[in-house]
Amino acid sequence: MPATAPATTTTTSPAAVKSMFPQAKSLSMASSAKPALSLQADTKSVATRSIAPESIKSTTSTSTQQSLTARALFEVLLGITGKDFVLTASDDTCARGIVVQKRGEDKSRALNKNNLMLFTGEAGDTTQFAEYIQCNTQLYRIRNGMDLSTRAVSSYVRKELATSLRSRHPYTVNLLIGGVDPKTGTPELYWLDYLSSCVKLNYAAHGYASYFCMSTMDRYWKPELSVEEAISLLKKCLAELKVRFIGNLPNFVVKITDKDGIREIEI
Amino acid sequence: MNGNIEHRFSPYTDNGGTTLAIAGEDFCVVAGDTRQSEGYLINSRYSPKVYHLHNNTVLATGGMHADGVALVKRIGQNLDWYVHKHDKDMSAQALAQMLSTILYSKRFFPYYVWNTLGGLDENGKGCVFSYDPVGNFEKLHWSASGSAGHLLQPFLDNQIGHKHQSNVEHHLLPLDKVLKIVKDAFNGATERDIYTGDFVEIFIITKDGVKVEKHDLKKD
Amino acid sequence: MLDFLDNPATLAGANRDPDGDMHAADFDPVGMAPTEFAHPTFSVPAIADPVAFLKHQTGVDAKNRIKIQHGTTTLAFKFNHGVIVAVDSRATGGSYIASQTVKKVIEINPYLLGTMAGGAADCSYWERELGRRCRIYELNNKERISVAAASKLLANMVYAYKGMGLSMGTMVTGWDKTGPQLYYVDSDGQRLKSDLFSVGSGSTYAYGVLDAGYKPDLTPEEAIDLGRRAIVHATFRDAYSGGYVSVYHVKENGWEFISRTDVNDLIYQYQAEEKPSLV
Repeated sequence: MPATAPATTTTTSPAAVKSMFPQAKSLSMASSAKPALSLQADTKSVATRSIAPESIKSTTSTSTQQSLTARALFEVLLGITGKDFVLTASDDTCARGIVVQKRGEDKSRALNKNNLMLFTGEAGDTTQFAEYIQCNTQLYRIRNGMDLSTRAVSSYVRKELATSLRSRHPYTVNLLIGGVDPKTGTPELYWLDYLSSCVKLNYAAHGYASYFCMSTMDRYWKPELSVEEAISLLKKCLAELKVRFIGNLPNFVVKITDKDGIREIEI
Repeated sequence: MNGNIEHRFSPYTDNGGTTLAIAGEDFCVVAGDTRQSEGYLINSRYSPKVYHLHNNTVLATGGMHADGVALVKRIGQNLDWYVHKHDKDMSAQALAQMLSTILYSKRFFPYYVWNTLGGLDENGKGCVFSYDPVGNFEKLHWSASGSAGHLLQPFLDNQIGHKHQSNVEHHLLPLDKVLKIVKDAFNGATERDIYTGDFVEIFIITKDGVKVEKHDLKKD
Repeated sequence: MLDFLDNPATLAGANRDPDGDMHAADFDPVGMAPTEFAHPTFSVPAIADPVAFLKHQTGVDAKNRIKIQHGTTTLAFKFNHGVIVAVDSRATGGSYIASQTVKKVIEINPYLLGTMAGGAADCSYWERELGRRCRIYELNNKERISVAAASKLLANMVYAYKGMGLSMGTMVTGWDKTGPQLYYVDSDGQRLKSDLFSVGSGSTYAYGVLDAGYKPDLTPEEAIDLGRRAIVHATFRDAYSGGYVSVYHVKENGWEFISRTDVNDLIYQYQAEEKPSLV
């Protein structure tokens, strides 16, 4: 470190850091301020991720945020496509450590009239990311006079996650996006994880729940399910979780997304 | 350990020393020993860490000497600017909050300093503010911190606060009694703490200004 | 000509503080955030990973450890007559009791309360900043900020520093147009709305008493007693909690300070009482 270097500085570009610490490992992360996440790469987007003075952040990625927290694996997200709807369920529990902090939490956000996004993952990241996506899908409607399709919104979200993953501070969130085409009623369900995989599926699950429920859904799911049939299948999945899964999840928020919109149902 | 931690960057050292402050009805006493050490080596027998700030307050800094000097310099400049802007001295309460904010501005690279601030409040009563390194603070009647802080605090709690004693009157002590307690405290701390000794400087704050007394402590 | 004078950043001289530390300009990616809502700036060491540096310096194995004051039991719950907030008053630095007289209920303004758990400086700094922002909101909008909005301001502020080592678990309560409100906000950026929360190292003990005795139709006296008892039982089992129990009651026209009682007196008082019947 040159003797003239200031004791502290907040402009830690990798180049500067390297010159001060020639022995430091090469720093692969971009030094420029993180691009504001926005629907379009302009400055008009409503929601940008709220960011601390960027330069005070570490130039190496923080290791704590890289993997999915154990807590998130205990959270349950389920999605089942039917004839002209998508049936989704999420547990309603917020836990931290060994304590249940809240029951009755809705882990989903309506992106627009016919698209619903469910989320689990790192505390804080989940709602911040979901509301950010929600704001931008709604902005899209205001700007263009029409809504994004389920496919389009999934593609957009996937790209946001991919960009985020390669930033210094990635969002650690897993998602299900379910929706229908408002004209034809064709249902679509997308499974996304924090590594920005995005798969279109007929039925899907996140977390440990997938170990219990995927086989059940493999066994019973068929195309063109009626609402009654889909609910019956969902009940089988939730019953299995109650019997075999150690995580104590008594309540689920169940929603149907169809041509008419998104509604919560009791099962 | 991951490779990111640079063990070579170690900007902190503990120079030891003990500080103490006691509020009275119309005065405040702030004291600190003057030994400055590093490990088993005594760097200086007279390196004061209690500073008279020119708004009739006294700041005692324990921990790392260099950070204490930097902090006091910064506070002094802020106090000067305050006078230029407002044409009056900053009150003790305002300084207390400002010190907290200054300490928190280095939340991610803290000053390695445990501060105790003494002064007179807006009613002329003695007041003491005690801080952690990142700016948490509390208004108290007495406080001890630094290397023998954990030895002195229970002594003060007993002698001034009369903690867990029945049939005692709780009131702030007069100056002569406070000075006795301060000297006893530092003599005791010198006996049991290797980082405390040489001299104790006692600052007495009244509405007429600040007086300083210097007393010998054991030099071993 | 002299409009640089209006800009405190240029006036301060290239964002350099008297230590010579440099500060990043407030980060405003869109260029439209009002300056009063800009993030405060903090200096960081000029090293590759300041987060790891701070984590090391505050950790138990550091040579010159910076002990940040910690440890707490706090609780708050909604009931038919408002919100009860109860807290202990102990601050610990490692195993040393740094203070038995900490004010862990932060009076943000006459109708908003925040509680303090985790890093004491983090809580008091950010809740003070929240109070400032709430006041600016009031001046801009000629009406009080909702508790939902206030708690979200706080959550968004600390979320911006996620991963930097802040430690804060707070409950924000108050009474707004929509009635009594209670939110939990922490330094992960988590923000939850519910009827009952307890935060801190003694929270599980407090929950044990609180959940067993809670119902929405408690009288104010019963609710105050329940909150106080829950804290006392937490201080009895959790060594990091203790000192005094402070109780506040949030009502329609603002909060009211109820009591501050030595935990020790209450423990003996409760032990002298007959236990309630179970059946």
